[in-house]
Amino acid sequence: MDSRVFFRRLAFLSVVSAVLMVSVVGSPVRVSAQTDTGDIPDLVGIWDGSPRSRPINGPTMPWTSDNFPVLNERALAFQAVFDEAIAGKYDCVPAASPALQYDPYFLEVVQWPDRVLFRYEKDDQLRTVWLDGREPFPNEYTLQGFSVGGYEGNELIVETTRFVFDIAGFDDYNGIPSSQLKKVTERYWRDGEELRMTLTLEDPLFLREPASYTTRWLPAPEGYKLNPYECDAEEARRSVRYMIPKYR
Amino acid sequence: MRPLLWISSLAAVAIGLVITGLPAEAHHNSAPFYDDTKSVEAVGVVSRFVFRNPHSFIFIDGENEAGEVVEWEVELGAAVTMSRRGWTPETIRASDPIRAVGQPSRAPGTFGICCAELTRPDGSPIQP
Repeated sequence: MDSRVFFRRLAFLSVVSAVLMVSVVGSPVRVSAQTDTGDIPDLVGIWDGSPRSRPINGPTMPWTSDNFPVLNERALAFQAVFDEAIAGKYDCVPAASPALQYDPYFLEVVQWPDRVLFRYEKDDQLRTVWLDGREPFPNEYTLQGFSVGGYEGNELIVETTRFVFDIAGFDDYNGIPSSQLKKVTERYWRDGEELRMTLTLEDPLFLREPASYTTRWLPAPEGYKLNPYECDAEEARRSVRYMIPKYR
Repeated sequence: MRPLLWISSLAAVAIGLVITGLPAEAHHNSAPFYDDTKSVEAVGVVSRFVFRNPHSFIFIDGENEAGEVVEWEVELGAAVTMSRRGWTPETIRASDPIRAVGQPSRAPGTFGICCAELTRPDGSPIQP
């Protein structure tokens, strides 16, 4: 190849690369995706989120009296009228963030160049974290929300918005809902053999201020594969009959 | 529910796990459904074992406290969790004699049991 042609092509590619970099930096993704795979933390694997990883009253349990979210009047009102029987879990509606992450089940993480996949054994849930700067469609609101992310140092940072209103959107136990304004930020990193995460929850319609917890997963037993959950709606609702109803 | 109650509920589940050796990790708090201040015993034969998610159940044909034959419904953990400890749909079979001791369900006229210790009628443990 003629050396002048070669250098023209090189210059053209440089310009294209620069334009692409500017478009990524200027996108709504607030964290930058790194292209140097050497800096990306290795989160791949199947992870054990059972009580083995989070002993009762241990430091990896999510919420304690020290970090429990401060509810506003609207949240307290919802909590006061909440009826356990209406919770979606009794009809196999999956849990969402921030509860999905600490349900005591296993998790599989897959890292691809343009996305990170979180597959939860509980309720067969799959979350896709887009690393390519894409944006959601204007009316794209779902139970698990829309997740974007990138790598910073040795961490994966995930931001999830676009949740639907969820009557039990805070967790399975407290009767606290979450709104379309819920925003969940997760930071994942490796600590030796452990996978660790700090989650920060914001929801201005129900919380007075952001709340955070840190938890961990341990490596799953060698060779373990996630099992299908295939929630059985009849069995999920069976125990509701055992309650004394709050409303008739 | 307040956090301390939530934590104490988890503690109760953990204690149940220690007592029974069963996979008692629930995806929900058992307090609204079961009275942890009481204990009930079901002795009879298994009519069916439903090994499912989110919770497995053992159905036992046995007598209630009034001597009437009823179907007891013993709630266990999720099948995915139990299977990691060796349980399969065949661990318990229809017509197996069984004894379950645990917390009774709260609603009158229901025969649910939670956090149960499962044994054969002779007291030997049921294990996978």
